[in-house]
Amino acid sequence: MFRSVIATIAPKTVVRAHCDLPCGVYDPEQARIEAESCYRIVEKYAANEDTAYRTRAIAIKEERADLVKHHLDVLWHDYFKPEHLEAVPNLHDLFWQATKQVSKVKASTDLADAKRLLDLVDEVDAAWKATGGPSKTRVAGRPG
Amino acid sequence: MTSDAGSTGTQAAVDPVADPGGGREVQRTLRERLRGPWRVTVAEGSMLPDIAPGDWLLIDPTTRRWPRPGSVVVFREPVTDDLAIKRVRARGGERVPFNGGYIALGEGEAWLEADATPAIAAAAGYGPPIDSDRFGPVPVDLLVGRVWFRYGPWKRIGRIGRIGPPTTP
Repeated sequence: MFRSVIATIAPKTVVRAHCDLPCGVYDPEQARIEAESCYRIVEKYAANEDTAYRTRAIAIKEERADLVKHHLDVLWHDYFKPEHLEAVPNLHDLFWQATKQVSKVKASTDLADAKRLLDLVDEVDAAWKATGGPSKTRVAGRPG
Repeated sequence: MTSDAGSTGTQAAVDPVADPGGGREVQRTLRERLRGPWRVTVAEGSMLPDIAPGDWLLIDPTTRRWPRPGSVVVFREPVTDDLAIKRVRARGGERVPFNGGYIALGEGEAWLEADATPAIAAAAGYGPPIDSDRFGPVPVDLLVGRVWFRYGPWKRIGRIGRIGPPTTP
């Protein structure tokens, strides 16, 4: 009886108080792939003396590095939540170092800098895994 | 008034002193407007804290013109055509600050705003609110009705009043 009254008076039409929808899919692999691009570009840069080639390499490295920074930023402010600080106490410092390292890679053609960025992205990946990232943010069990 | 049903509604007397804004009227006939919706429920959080997801609202679908600034309205969102809810910030003839300058609203247009700040929306698990900052001025043809009462949940039953537009710097 009560239930049928509720069903009768309940609105049938939904109005949306629209917000952007965070898709909830996060994976540091995105940042890792762009960081690997930077690494390879630095390698190729060193192996080629051609000025035009080197100019292009620098430009592309700049672009890829921006993407690394973007993907790291999205993880930092969209995926990670305050409660994750318990599992990863150095989270903020880690992101600070990693995004600073991106800036360093932009300005550098030293392979060691690009390698250091890969390591920092891997640390972010470990933090993502430590907070249950793979099961919470990827669809149907990816990555395998 | 039955003879008025089916007309374009232009015979209705509009008192320009009592209701100066707006201008153009909803082109749908009275019969179309009477079909409603009269009751709606809210999804998503861009109208927090005043109007929450899941609220049951009564609307007046016979409204032909944008109600006064501060009123809450249901409308067809430009681009998506979704039924959406927002608050009227300004109407035709007024201008609103936008992107460092101003936008002057044309006749029959309204500028609609979300109540929730990005921080309030984020705290409730939503992304930044989408309003006229994104989809621009809304023509009155897209107006569906004025929200006037909340009849659920039980503890928050009451009138949905006007809230004056925020003072801008």
